[in-house]
Amino acid sequence: MRDRDGDRDRTGHVADADVNEEDLKQRIADRMPQCGVTVPKPGRLIATVPRDGLLSLLHLLKTDGFEHLSLISCVDWIDEGELELVYHLWSQEKKVHAMAKTRVDRASPRMLSVILLFRHAQTYERELHEMFGIDFDGNPRQVPLLLDHWQGIPPMRKEFDLRRHARETFGVEERTDD
Amino acid sequence: MDRAQIPKILKSPANWGRKYSLWAVYFCTGCGIIEIPPVVTSRWDAERFGVIPMATPRQGNLFLITGYVSLKTLGAIIRTYDQMLNPKYVVGFGSCPVNGGMYWDSYNTIKHLDQYVPVDGWISGCMPRPEAIFIAVTHLWTLIDKGLADGYKRYKDNYDFYCANQRRVLPHLPKFACGTGTETATAPATLRMPT
Repeated sequence: MRDRDGDRDRTGHVADADVNEEDLKQRIADRMPQCGVTVPKPGRLIATVPRDGLLSLLHLLKTDGFEHLSLISCVDWIDEGELELVYHLWSQEKKVHAMAKTRVDRASPRMLSVILLFRHAQTYERELHEMFGIDFDGNPRQVPLLLDHWQGIPPMRKEFDLRRHARETFGVEERTDD
Repeated sequence: MDRAQIPKILKSPANWGRKYSLWAVYFCTGCGIIEIPPVVTSRWDAERFGVIPMATPRQGNLFLITGYVSLKTLGAIIRTYDQMLNPKYVVGFGSCPVNGGMYWDSYNTIKHLDQYVPVDGWISGCMPRPEAIFIAVTHLWTLIDKGLADGYKRYKDNYDFYCANQRRVLPHLPKFACGTGTETATAPATLRMPT
């Protein structure tokens, strides 16, 4: 492993890094032509793939040194009828934060589980199942994590009426800002 | 000792003893619990005020709700409160138990703690300083002296009201497993939510 602990700028990124994000981008683009890769700033890599290519992309990134899955997040694009899953990967060696993005259908969201690649993804997928209603094929334990007794649409979806729910369940008084 | 105190003590020796031996239940709710370690240890030393933390609810009588209360936590709070022996005092600590605070429109955080368990005192603020706990404790002494810290009596008298509210948000609690479901939410006027 290279010693890269010197010469950090304010954001913690190594300024004179000899890891070139453009090389990484080229390597991914060569091996996965259907994948759109961008480098918005040093130390950041965004790869967008169709749903079926995500597992291959994550496998590719993992063998490339992105051995840590920090987080899986989800964005609700309600107007486009899609949910966007973002897999955040971190490479301790390269000090690069890579995001693998993919979109699934919003009406019946299904995704292949990544627990074969990253075992701890089980908890993240369980939470996404609870908060966005995404089914992860291959995840054996999609039971409620934080919400014990939830009925109705998952709370993090954009069509979920937060204020109405709070009013009806907890008796929140209406506020008038004038 | 002040001689004027003697008739008061003789009138209710139990309250006089009670108010100087408050045993706070170890129960961590939300972010406010970060204030409790300095309060009970050498920096502010709550023992000066007769407050000592107690590990089990069955031997405690002061229940500090330190911060936002999620539904899952509310289940544990109800369970803990039901286990505590009378007389027991509940103090809501921070803005969130009062009216939800910054979580006023959250889907998973209760807004009015006194709808589910009776509360004897509130400490507002986000975060309140540790000194605020001592102000609350000394205020609680006054309430105990005057017989106004009667949350446990209100809980007993209006048990149906509290149970109905608890059941509405937490129908799967073990205490409702064999209930009849006939409790009605007719609250006395003093407990009703402002509309």
